[in-house]
This record gives sequence, C-alpha cells and structure tokens, in this order.
Amino acid sequence: MKITLEKNVMENNDRAAAFNRQLFNKTKTLVINIMSSPGAGKTTILERTVAELSKDYHIGVIEGDIATERDADRIRKKGVEAVQIATEGECHLDPRMVAKVLPELDLDAIDILFIENVGNLVCPSEFDLGQNHRVVVLSTPEGNDKIPKYPLMFHVTELALINKVDLLPHVSFDLDKAREDLRAIQPNSRLMPISAKSGEGFETWIDWIRANLEACQKH
Amino acid sequence: MHEMGLMEDALELVAEDAEKHAFQSVDKISLIVGDLSNVLPDALRFAFDAFRESGQIPILSQQASLEIIPEKGLAKCAVCGITYEPNAFIATCPECGMPFGVLLAGETFKIESYEGS
Repeated sequence: MKITLEKNVMENNDRAAAFNRQLFNKTKTLVINIMSSPGAGKTTILERTVAELSKDYHIGVIEGDIATERDADRIRKKGVEAVQIATEGECHLDPRMVAKVLPELDLDAIDILFIENVGNLVCPSEFDLGQNHRVVVLSTPEGNDKIPKYPLMFHVTELALINKVDLLPHVSFDLDKAREDLRAIQPNSRLMPISAKSGEGFETWIDWIRANLEACQKH
Repeated sequence: MHEMGLMEDALELVAEDAEKHAFQSVDKISLIVGDLSNVLPDALRFAFDAFRESGQIPILSQQASLEIIPEKGLAKCAVCGITYEPNAFIATCPECGMPFGVLLAGETFKIESYEGS
C-alpha cells in the first residue's frame, strides 16, 4: 500500500530552530551564526570582536568543530564564556546540537551570543539554528570564485565579511567584483571588508552588531 | 556530508508514520530533492543503503528501494515577471539582468510517499 506523506525532512530541524528562537527572544539575546570555509578567520574575528564588545556587554560564544576544544579555549582566554560543540564528524551545526548546550550558558545575562559554525561553505547554509542573523566570512586568499561557487551560502546570509583585506596587495582578490557577484546572488546582503589582524573595518562591523542588538532588545 | 543525518531523519519520519498505519515493513521510499537543496542524490543513496543494511531502522525491509524525484530550480523575476532556471547567480534575471529574482522551486527536500504493508 502506498502512503502519500508530503513531509519536509527538515521538519524536526525547523521545529528545534523555532524552539531556540523563542528562547532567544525571551532572554533578549542577539544571536549571530557565523559561517565560512576552514581558515577564513572566524575564530580570529571573534577574538577581536569579543575583546571589543565585552567592555560593554555580556558575551557568549558557541564553537562548532568536528573535533577538539581549541577554539573555545582561544575565546575563553579573552575572558568570555565559551562552549564547544564537537560534532564528531558532522559537517555543520544543527539546532538540536545547539539546544543541547544552551543550559550551559546564562542566556538571561548574555546580550550577544555568537555561534561559530563548522568550517564549510556548503552544509551549514542548510540549517537554521534559531539565530537572528546569518553572517558569512570569506577571506581574500580564497579568491573571488567562492561566491558564485557556493551561491546558496551567499544567498541565505545577510552580511558577507571579506576578511584579510590587509593581504589585498598580495592576492588577486577584487572587492568590486565580489560586490557585484554578491548582489547578483543576494541583493539584500551587504559586503563588509575587514581585517581581524590589523583591525581595519572593525568599527563598521562592531557598529553593525550594536545596531542589531539595539533593535533586538527593543522588542 | 550531511546526507547521513538527513537520511536518518527521513527514515525516522517514515518509520513513525508506518507504525501509525500498523505496517510490518516499508518497501519503497520516494523523496523529492530540489536542485538547490544542497542535498546530493548519490550521497542519499549511499546513506539509504547503509541504513538498510545495518538494520538500524527495523521496519525498513532488506529489499527496500529509494526513489529520488528531482525538482528543478525555478525563480521569478520581480522586475520583468518572467520565470527562469537560476544558475549560480540565483537572484539575477537572465532577461533583464536585475537581481531581484525570488525562488519558487528547487529548495525542496521532502518525503513524497512510501510503500509498505
């Protein structure tokens, strides 16, 4: 006998994401899901970001990696609460993994929670974690081609941080071309050149976070 | 490779429903997989075979087959109104060149039906 089910496979994920989102709304926590390929500089960006923001706000970080506690340790050294999720082979974070570690964080106190996803430009774009904002990081040595090669990642994010712009004189990365390609994939996304090493562009990035926090806490 | 976890989710949803119908076994599952779903049919087949052989989903029979029904990507331009099959530049209309296309299809990943008894 044939049964017509018409059921979305992501249903369980979407339900878990909605649960997380409800919780974040209640605690008025701004949640930013940061994605990129391995080595684009997510953790270095976060180190600098939390050092800056923790002067004014209570920050929390969830680190996603296939293995090791290394990234969470790097963040803890900045005096910020960090929880590591070791996915043990999974190439992305899903909302159930996030829900499982939320009790380890004091969400009532945390103003801004960063979730650093597993380094991968494909799978993490598929999974809603219940975040307020999705940000992708692309570093200049990776090249312009990454944008049209991984269009879904750039389609589902609202901000593309172009990291390592201090290397622009040494690599063939064209910022104008990147802007044009991003617009062709997601016209509502914004491109922001930064360098986690030199600090270039960080004021704009920090302002972007502050503005979103204000909007999030107004509700 | 996230297809392993997704296939597990799909099989659990089918098993749950099949139990409600008091089925003893599930012999075929049909999935709709969109071009823009980031799910690879070959990896799904691999995952399906692995779960069937492992016996982890007891209701899935050893003869069970997987059908994958592809869904083409489709977008509609908000400026000139035509529909088009998007390439990498998803939002950009091939006719007028404006980047305001809205996806209509291609992101689907769902269980269409299953067969059992």
